[in-house]
Amino acid sequence: MLGDLGYAVQVAFTYYTVIYLTGLGGLFSERSGIVNIGLEGMMIIGTVTGSFGAFYFTSAVADGGLGLGQPWGPILGLLFGMACGAAFASIHALATVTFRIDHIVSGVVINLVAVGLARFLSSVFFGQATQSDPGQPHLSLIDVPLLSSIPQFGRAFENLSPVVFVGLLAVFPAVYVLYRLRWGLRLRSAGENPEATRSLGVRVAPLRWQAVLISGALAGLAGAFLSVEATGHWREGQTQGLGFISLAALILSNWNPRRLMAAAFLFGFAQAIPLTLDNWPIIRSIPPQFVNMTPYIVTIVVLAGFVGRVRPPAAAGKAYEGGST
Amino acid sequence: MASVAAPPVVAAPRALPGWLTNGLAQIGALLLAFVIALALGAVIVVLYGENPLDVYAAIFKFSFTITDGPAYVMAVATPLIFSALAVSICFKAGLFNIGVEGQFLVGMLTAAWAALYLDFIPGPLLMWTVLLFASLGGMAYAAIPAVLKVKTGAHEVVTTIMLNGIAVSLVGWALNGPLKFTNPPPGQNVDLRTDPFPRNALVPDLGHVFGFGKGPNLSWLFPLAIVAAIIIWFVVKRMRLGFEARAVGAAAGSARAGGISIGGVQIKLFLISGALAGLVGMQQILADQGLLPKNYIAQLGFTGIAVAFLGRNNPIGIIFAALIWGILARGETALQIETDVPREFVIILQGLLILTVVITYELAKRRLARRQVRTAAAEELIVTVESAPEEVPT
Repeated sequence: MLGDLGYAVQVAFTYYTVIYLTGLGGLFSERSGIVNIGLEGMMIIGTVTGSFGAFYFTSAVADGGLGLGQPWGPILGLLFGMACGAAFASIHALATVTFRIDHIVSGVVINLVAVGLARFLSSVFFGQATQSDPGQPHLSLIDVPLLSSIPQFGRAFENLSPVVFVGLLAVFPAVYVLYRLRWGLRLRSAGENPEATRSLGVRVAPLRWQAVLISGALAGLAGAFLSVEATGHWREGQTQGLGFISLAALILSNWNPRRLMAAAFLFGFAQAIPLTLDNWPIIRSIPPQFVNMTPYIVTIVVLAGFVGRVRPPAAAGKAYEGGST
Repeated sequence: MASVAAPPVVAAPRALPGWLTNGLAQIGALLLAFVIALALGAVIVVLYGENPLDVYAAIFKFSFTITDGPAYVMAVATPLIFSALAVSICFKAGLFNIGVEGQFLVGMLTAAWAALYLDFIPGPLLMWTVLLFASLGGMAYAAIPAVLKVKTGAHEVVTTIMLNGIAVSLVGWALNGPLKFTNPPPGQNVDLRTDPFPRNALVPDLGHVFGFGKGPNLSWLFPLAIVAAIIIWFVVKRMRLGFEARAVGAAAGSARAGGISIGGVQIKLFLISGALAGLVGMQQILADQGLLPKNYIAQLGFTGIAVAFLGRNNPIGIIFAALIWGILARGETALQIETDVPREFVIILQGLLILTVVITYELAKRRLARRQVRTAAAEELIVTVESAPEEVPT
């Protein structure tokens, strides 16, 4: 019983990492005033490029790789996914910041293009459009000392990817950058009142560009983690709407990086329940699809103001006419 | 910005009437978008060591010269017309219905339920009942974000994104539960799906009327989509609701001052949108498959957004945009057969096209607006120049 729960928490850590990193990306973008519903697409690009990167940097020179082996191969693969996510996000930045296209339109296009681009890249990388080759190189898994030796429940802290700890610790640099650095203050003010920001001599467009690129990088890293570390292969459709769940977590957190941790873990745990606790009679009596719906339902309830209140950044989604300056 | 330094316009262009300038600008923007998208696509083709002209010719020819080509194009366009119309009607009032995806999934569920459980309804009446249930399902699902928006202010973009996620799970649940097949063929491991629908529930084939084969499954849903487009055109241009919608979309404050109930208009538009969205899935379940399978074609709601933009939210434009989309989709097969370029190139091309169309239109709109401002300024200038010729502001 407790062992099952430990397993559920272990799987929840994996989902948490994907949701938190992507949600944090969305947080940077939306806090700067750019609504980003293209997170799912940016994550998709991260899955396929991260998987390829890990193969390319790890496998031997004879097999057409760079032969860096462990652990540099997978690490560079993850970073490659991150870079490609940022590169892909530059389309969103170009459309919304430079050309001041409606953010939702651009986000929808990003998501549509990502599906096709991922298939295209996959057929270039792997010679097949919908999945990677077997034998995905990944980082070796970690057991947390002490915690993993807790009887039964300790399973929660076994076999974790090192990237999970990146997800757990990312809040510190994020909070520091957003709330302690001048850049973070400017970024947040660009999302609340770009006119005031501009009047203080701060150029809004570069800030927003940087924020959108960061969001792409984080979503790309989350995607690369999903393919390289969490599932061990790239497969079409493996993001399963996690980008939208990240968006839901972001809303539930009220655009706050600390509260985003709680929201991401909550939704991550909801994803893990049907997968890991299916031999609990209570869980088995509920169709798994209803458990999977919970993040979306919670978000609608919160948005409608039935429980609590959330307030998005004031200028998010609005075109700023001084956009090119 | 560069426009600040622009020299004062001496001879303002005022010969052309406004609607003509507007129309020419739109056509120009569209052509420019196509040229840019095709040029960017050509770069990828060249990287593959192929001739872009050959590749584009292959894509285009496949829809016209190969047997049944046009029928395939129209069959692909059918669901896209419905979904793009659903998006566009909301957009008239500045509402963004990203929930067409979820609404069409729910429409497929209610239609499948009607086809399987109301099979006592005789003759072609069953088909119309099924279509009605599809629309009602989409409508009911669209009512949720509409009411939430009007009553609580929850933004429709976010609520519909969430409802899309819920709809995917609903279909998964229904196919595992209430709508799961009852008697799979013995000895076969079939994918999850519903039972086959009764023949009366299906939409009859249209292709054979024009001498096409059975393959493309071109059905009477295509003319129905055209009729829907004409009705929507009529509603938007000629009916009170269309006027109110455009008023709300253009200036909500003025519309309210003019006595229009904004919430009422928004709910009505969302319901119409949902009714159209409900019909999006009918081509695949009532014409292609005759049942609702687990691996149904998704993303049609999102593609509808792209098609709506390509068609400039104009119902007639949407028909052509959907056909263009169909031609490109058909071209995937052509690429696979005739070139070394991966077939997914077409999806990239579609994405490029949408991006360039959206951006060029936006820039054209701004240019027009600037020119109007300049024309007005120039007219004022003439008056100013007459009185004080030495001090022309730059």
